[in-house]
Amino acid sequence: MSDSDPLAAPAAPGPGAPGPAASAGAAVPGVRGIDLVRVESRALYIQALFSAERQQGPGFAFALLPVLRRVYTTAAERGRALARHMGFFGTHPVLSGIVLGVVARLEERRAQGLPVSELQIEQTKRALASPLAALGDPLFWVTLRPLAGLMGVLGMAVLPLADTAGPDLRVLVCPCLALLTYNAVAIRFRVAGVPRGYAMADDPGGLLRSLHLAELRRFFERVSALAFGALVALTLWPMVQSADPAHEGFAHKASVLAPFVLGSALTALLLRRWPGRSVEIAFAAALVALVLSSRF
Amino acid sequence: MLSELWRVALLGGVLAMDRSAGWNLMLGQPLVGACLAGAFLSPGTPWELWALRIPLGVGVLLQLLLTDPALPAAQRPRDAATAGVIGASIAVLSLERLHPFVPLTTGGILWVLVGTLSGLLAAVGGGWMELSLRARNERSARRAEELALEGKIGSFEALYWRGVARIFLRGATWSVAATVLGVALASLLLPRIAGLITGPRAGWIFAAILGVAFGAGFQTHVRAPRHGFRWAAIGALVTLLVLMRLHAGGEL
Repeated sequence: MSDSDPLAAPAAPGPGAPGPAASAGAAVPGVRGIDLVRVESRALYIQALFSAERQQGPGFAFALLPVLRRVYTTAAERGRALARHMGFFGTHPVLSGIVLGVVARLEERRAQGLPVSELQIEQTKRALASPLAALGDPLFWVTLRPLAGLMGVLGMAVLPLADTAGPDLRVLVCPCLALLTYNAVAIRFRVAGVPRGYAMADDPGGLLRSLHLAELRRFFERVSALAFGALVALTLWPMVQSADPAHEGFAHKASVLAPFVLGSALTALLLRRWPGRSVEIAFAAALVALVLSSRF
Repeated sequence: MLSELWRVALLGGVLAMDRSAGWNLMLGQPLVGACLAGAFLSPGTPWELWALRIPLGVGVLLQLLLTDPALPAAQRPRDAATAGVIGASIAVLSLERLHPFVPLTTGGILWVLVGTLSGLLAAVGGGWMELSLRARNERSARRAEELALEGKIGSFEALYWRGVARIFLRGATWSVAATVLGVALASLLLPRIAGLITGPRAGWIFAAILGVAFGAGFQTHVRAPRHGFRWAAIGALVTLLVLMRLHAGGEL
């Protein structure tokens, strides 16, 4: 998979330019497909040394190591290249393969002696990582992950309750629904990320546009809201149906439904004021319900 | 109980890897973790139905309660991955041991409550532990950089793999420790307050927490997205129409 195409953009002046092979005049082996597969598999551990200061920087260097091993011949060169990638790096983990692929290509060219400077590699890395994080985080963390969990919850509401004789199959189906919803999208990006980044290293703008991340997010946002509406209806319907089995009247029905309705409404209001405090609200609600249930 | 704790440790470790190492395959979501814990810890025939159904209830509530629509940097530190395992494990292990003292009131609601509240506490505790792990990671990263500059690639890789192992061990030890503590507390407290735990009382608390879970779900799925309310209303209306049609004895 080695390539001798010159870079479209001229090399920016920076430390280490040109690459080591140019000075040594040695033949440098190109990156092989198996190297990209290794990079991809190592990208699964990109956050293992995650810290506030460097974020995924150490993980990025660790994932890129198979390529650095291939293109740099001495331990000192490999070590220097590895240390260069240990600084700050932050993007969405599922999309990190794309940046790894682009950087693999640039490192390969640099090792072959083409005019690619360290600074240029770093700038390309950052220029890709930021928009991928800005588009990937809202898609995967904010939209797709909650949607996947919701599909699992929806599975419980839709599937019939097991009889007392056999095991409850929902315990298998609900997690599978959640896993499939998320991974049907995420695995595609995982698998294609490194090769795609490697192939489109010269056109980062086109690479970003080809991912359609913003369009995917808008679609999944709508599906998520639609599914939540369905979940509310599926939960409230049987509750209302079974709230007054002895036909004691509206007051009885209202008293049975009150904890759920009040809990929902108050939580929606409180989370607007204090986002991310659902744990504290749940404990407060449990305490209030305990006190009220003792009085009535 | 030792074999069950080994299983909890294995599960907690694997799910912590999914959350913290970068797998991000959704294994670390509370619903998945709780259901896996139920399947792993099922005590066998007399309890099989409850050992599967209770973790499912715990997982559903934790999934809605612990899903935060904010970007990761803006979220409060919560370890949702091990929360599902710990909550479901405490519920299932306590159910089996405490059944003579605390009966299964109203379809196991009490044990779903025990598991959910334990899971929420575990999420908060696990979040604090995650912060200390990140401080340790920064020290390891500095050492890794030194090794790279010295050209010791093998040592660099070994250091990195130790970081991966640390995530697994943290998840495993935290899951076991929190489960043991939870079961011990449940064994100590629940038999003493067994007389107070009535069906209606458990039902009220369950309904309130279910309400909070749906309120949290509304925040995540409806309020955060643009035009979320419109799409949620469409989803609710279509589902209601289908349910009414089915209730009236019609066919789809």
